[in-house]
Amino acid sequence: MSTIVRMPQLGESVVEGTVARWLKSPGEHIAKNEALLEISTDKIDTEVPAPTEGVLLEIRAAAGSTVRAGAALAAIGSEAEYSAAQQAETQVGAPTDPASSGPNGNALSRGESSGEGSKNASAGGQPAADALAASAVAEGAPPVDAAPGGRAFVSPVVARMAAEHQIDLTAIAGSGLGGRVTKKDVEAYLQQPGHRSESFAGREPGDESSTAERDSVAAESTAEVDAGATGQTAVAPLGPDEVLTPLTTMRRAIAQHMVMSKRTSPHVTTIFEADMTAVIRHREAHKRVYAAKGIALTYTPYFIAAIVAGLRVVPQANSRFTEAGIAVNKRMHIGLAVALTHGLVVPVVCDADEKNLQGLARLINELVDRTRRNTLRPEDVQGGTFTLTNHGTGGSLLATPIINQPQTGILGTGAVVKRPVVRSSSPSLLPNADDSIVIRPMCYLSFTFDHRVLDGAQGDEFLTAVKQRLENWQ
Amino acid sequence: MADQSYQYDVIVVGSGPGGYVCAIRAAQLGLKTAIVERESLGGVCLNWGCIPTKALIHNAEVLETLHEAADYGFTFDNLRVNFGAAIKRSRDVVSRQTKGVAFLMKKNKIDVIQGNATFVDAHTLQMTPSEFIPDAKEQQVTSANFIIAVGARARSLPGAAIDGKRVIQYRDAVVLDEVPKKMIVVGSGAIGMEFSYIYSTYGAEVTVIEMLDQILPLEDAEVAAEVAKVFSKRGVKLLTSTRTEKVEVGDDGVTVTVKNLKTDAVETLSADKVLMAVGVQPNTDNVGLEAAGVKLDKRGFIEVDERMRTNVPNVYAIGDCTGKLLLAHVASAMGIVAAETIAGVETLPIPEERYIFMPRCTYCSPQVASLGYTEAQAKEKGFDVKVGKFPFMPNGKAQGMNVKVGFVKIIADAKYGEILGAHLVGPEVTEMLPELSLAQFMEITPAEIARTVHAHPTLSEVIMEAAHAVEGQPIHM
Repeated sequence: MSTIVRMPQLGESVVEGTVARWLKSPGEHIAKNEALLEISTDKIDTEVPAPTEGVLLEIRAAAGSTVRAGAALAAIGSEAEYSAAQQAETQVGAPTDPASSGPNGNALSRGESSGEGSKNASAGGQPAADALAASAVAEGAPPVDAAPGGRAFVSPVVARMAAEHQIDLTAIAGSGLGGRVTKKDVEAYLQQPGHRSESFAGREPGDESSTAERDSVAAESTAEVDAGATGQTAVAPLGPDEVLTPLTTMRRAIAQHMVMSKRTSPHVTTIFEADMTAVIRHREAHKRVYAAKGIALTYTPYFIAAIVAGLRVVPQANSRFTEAGIAVNKRMHIGLAVALTHGLVVPVVCDADEKNLQGLARLINELVDRTRRNTLRPEDVQGGTFTLTNHGTGGSLLATPIINQPQTGILGTGAVVKRPVVRSSSPSLLPNADDSIVIRPMCYLSFTFDHRVLDGAQGDEFLTAVKQRLENWQ
Repeated sequence: MADQSYQYDVIVVGSGPGGYVCAIRAAQLGLKTAIVERESLGGVCLNWGCIPTKALIHNAEVLETLHEAADYGFTFDNLRVNFGAAIKRSRDVVSRQTKGVAFLMKKNKIDVIQGNATFVDAHTLQMTPSEFIPDAKEQQVTSANFIIAVGARARSLPGAAIDGKRVIQYRDAVVLDEVPKKMIVVGSGAIGMEFSYIYSTYGAEVTVIEMLDQILPLEDAEVAAEVAKVFSKRGVKLLTSTRTEKVEVGDDGVTVTVKNLKTDAVETLSADKVLMAVGVQPNTDNVGLEAAGVKLDKRGFIEVDERMRTNVPNVYAIGDCTGKLLLAHVASAMGIVAAETIAGVETLPIPEERYIFMPRCTYCSPQVASLGYTEAQAKEKGFDVKVGKFPFMPNGKAQGMNVKVGFVKIIADAKYGEILGAHLVGPEVTEMLPELSLAQFMEITPAEIARTVHAHPTLSEVIMEAAHAVEGQPIHM
C-alpha cells in the first residue's frame, strides 16, 4: 500500500546519488510532486518530488548517504499506515532512526528486539516474526558507502555469478530481505542492456588475463568510469601536516573520468591563435539588442558556432572511437564545460548546427543559469558529441584539455588578450609597403583530439575552419 | 487503519495454521483483528491432521522399537497394545494445542467469532450457527479487509462416497476405535503413507494403491524406492500403477476393484476399511465468495498474487484454499505476508517460484523430507546438475540408533552450485531439512555446507558428506 520513493537514474552514466537534504520528516504530509528531498550526483543536483500524495512513513537513506539509482529512499503511505508502523515500532522497541539505517543500525534493532522477544517467548508468542519485521522496517537498500564492516551479505551463489560476469553488486537493487541481492536479481540485471559497461568498471587495471576482453568492451563502455582508477592505487598514510578532504561524489567522478580518459585515448593537442576583432566588433554591435531580448551575449555562442563550422569541414571530429569503427555523429551536440565552486559540469547545447547565434546565446544562457542554480535536468547533461572548455574566462591563455569520453575532440579557448601582431602587407598590391605591428584582440585555440580517430593534419584542418569562422565573423 | 466505518481492520476467515498465524501478525502490526472459526481453533492441522497424526506416529515408532526390542536385549512375552490409549494421547495433545491457540488469540486481543461465515459483500460477513457450534450467534460483522483461510477438505473418488464407517478419510482415521484387520489405503502421498505406517505397525494388513508408477509420487524416485523397500519388508502391500476402479461397501467389509495400468490385470481386494487419501478440494464453495466478487480458478481455488491479494482489493487469501502448496507451514508464511501487506509494512512476497523450495515432510518410518526439484525434474528443467548422495548406514550415530536405511541426496546446479533439490529419507530427516532450507534460501552451496563443521557423532554429518559428494569426494565412503 505504501509507495517507495527510489533514487532516480539521473543520466546514463550516473549510477548513484547522495542525499543532500530531506525537506520532509517522517509523519509529515506531502502533496504529489511536492519536493521531498534534495539529491546530488556527479553531474547535477536536483530535487526529488513525491510520486504520490500521502504521509512520509519513513526515511531509508539518511542525509549524506550515497545510494545506487533504484535504491529505496523513503516510503510514502497513509496516515493509518504511519500510525500502524509507529505502533509496531513501539512494540519491538526499535525506533527507526534514519541515521542508523543500513546494516549497522539494523544489527542494533535486531539486538533490541530479541531482548523484547525473550519476553514474548516466555509468554508463548512469536518473537522471531517481530524481530524480522523490525529489521525489515529499519532496512532500506544498503548505502554504497556504508560504515566500515557494514557490507551487505553476498551469498556464495551470487558471489560466483558476480565473479564470472565481473559485476559490481552494489549497482544492483536487491529484492531479498533487507535488500539482499539474490541470484534472481543478478539474472535480471544481466538481462538489462548495457550491463557490461558496469562489469568493465569493476575490473582491476592490471588484470592481464582479461585485457583482450576489456579492450573488446572498451568501445561500448568508454563512457563508463573505472572504479579503481582514481589515480591512487595505494593509500599512503596521512602525514602530520596533511588534512584529508573526503571525496564528494562529483570529485570522485571527475577523478575517475579524467584517469579513464587519459588511459583510453592518446591525447594530442594542436594550438592556433585567432584574431577576435570581427567577433568583438559584432558582439559590441549586438550586445544591446540581445540584452533587450533578455540575452547576455558572451563569446561562448561564437565559439560554438565556430566549432560547428570546423565540424562541418572535419565530420570525423564529431565522433567516438569504437572497435567496430569510428562512429561519426550526424548531429552536433556541443557540451559546455561550466565551472562550479566545487567541481565541473558539462551541460549540452543540442543540435548546435541548427541554431543561429541568437538561438545559441539564448540556450547557453539558460543552461548556465540552470547550472548555477542547480536545476539542471538529467537530459541537459546527456548526449554531447564534442566539448568546448572556455578556460580563458579565468585568465588562462593556453591549456591542454582532457577529452570528455567517449567523444573525440575538445576545444579549449583561452583569454582574449590584446597583443601586438605582425600584419603582412600584400606584396602584389603594395609592393613597397612594410609589414606592420598592430594591436589585436587575440585568443589561443587549443584543440585536443583522440589520435586514434584523427591525425594531425585533420586536427589542423578543423582548427583552421574554426579560426576562419571567428576571424571572418559577420 | 483509520477507516471507522467497519468494525474491524481485518477479519481472518478460518483459524488453521494459516489463519491464526496471520491474525497474530495483523494484531502485532496494530490492526484491529478478528478471526472466524466454525469448528475448533487450529483448523485441520491442529485438530485432525499434522498434530494428532504426529502423536499417533510416535506411538507407532515406540511400538516398532518394542517389536525390535530383542535387538537391544529386551525380551518379554506379554506385550499388550492398547490402541485406544494411543488415540486418547493424541486427542490430549490436540486439546492442549487448541488451548494454546485460544491463549494466543486472547493475548493478542484478537476477537474469536464462532460459526459459519458467508460473505454478504466484500466488507460484510453473515455469521450463522455451524454444525459444530449450533449455539453460535447470528450476526453480521464488517471489516475493511478480509483474509480467506478456509482451507480444504478430503476428496474422494467418483462412486466412492466417504461414509466414515467403511470408506473413511483422515478425520476418521485419527480417531478409529480399533485397529482394522485389513485396510486399503487409496493414495500414497504423505497422508496415505503416514496412516499406512501407523496401522500396519499396529497390526493391520495394509494395501496401498497408487495410480502413478511410484509411491510418494511427488518425491524423488530414489527416495520413493527406499521407502517402498522398507514398507514391503514390513508387510505392506504396495500396488503402484494401479487404478481404483470400484469401491463396494458390503455388510461385513468393503471390496475394492483395482486395475493394473501396465498389465490391465484386474484384481478384487477386500478390507474392513478403505482410507481415501487421494487429495483435497478447497472449502471455497460455501463462503459466499461470489457475493464478495472473489475469483476462483477452474479447480475452485482462490487466485492470489505474491502478496496474497485476490482480484478484490480488500480481500486476501492464504493457505490450502489458494492451491499453491497445501502445507501448514506454507499457509503460515502466506499469512504473515498477507498481514504485512495489509498493514503496509515491508514484507517479503512469495513469488510463484518460491513454493517449490518450501519444505515437504512425510513422517512415516523412514521419514521423508525434501525441497526443490527431484533429480528428474531438475534435468527436465534443463539444469546441468551435480548430485551428491550419502547413506545413513556408515554413520556412527545412525548405527547406534539401529538405523539401516536412508540417505541424503543433494542436487546442485553444476555452474554456480545453487541447491536445486534436497531429498532426505531416514531417521529424523524432517528435523534435518531446515539446514538445507536455509542454505537454499540464502543461496549457500554444497561447497560451504561441506566446509561447515558438523558435530560428531550426529545424523547431520550425512548432510555434510552428501555435500562433499556433490563437490567431489565424500570422506567416509
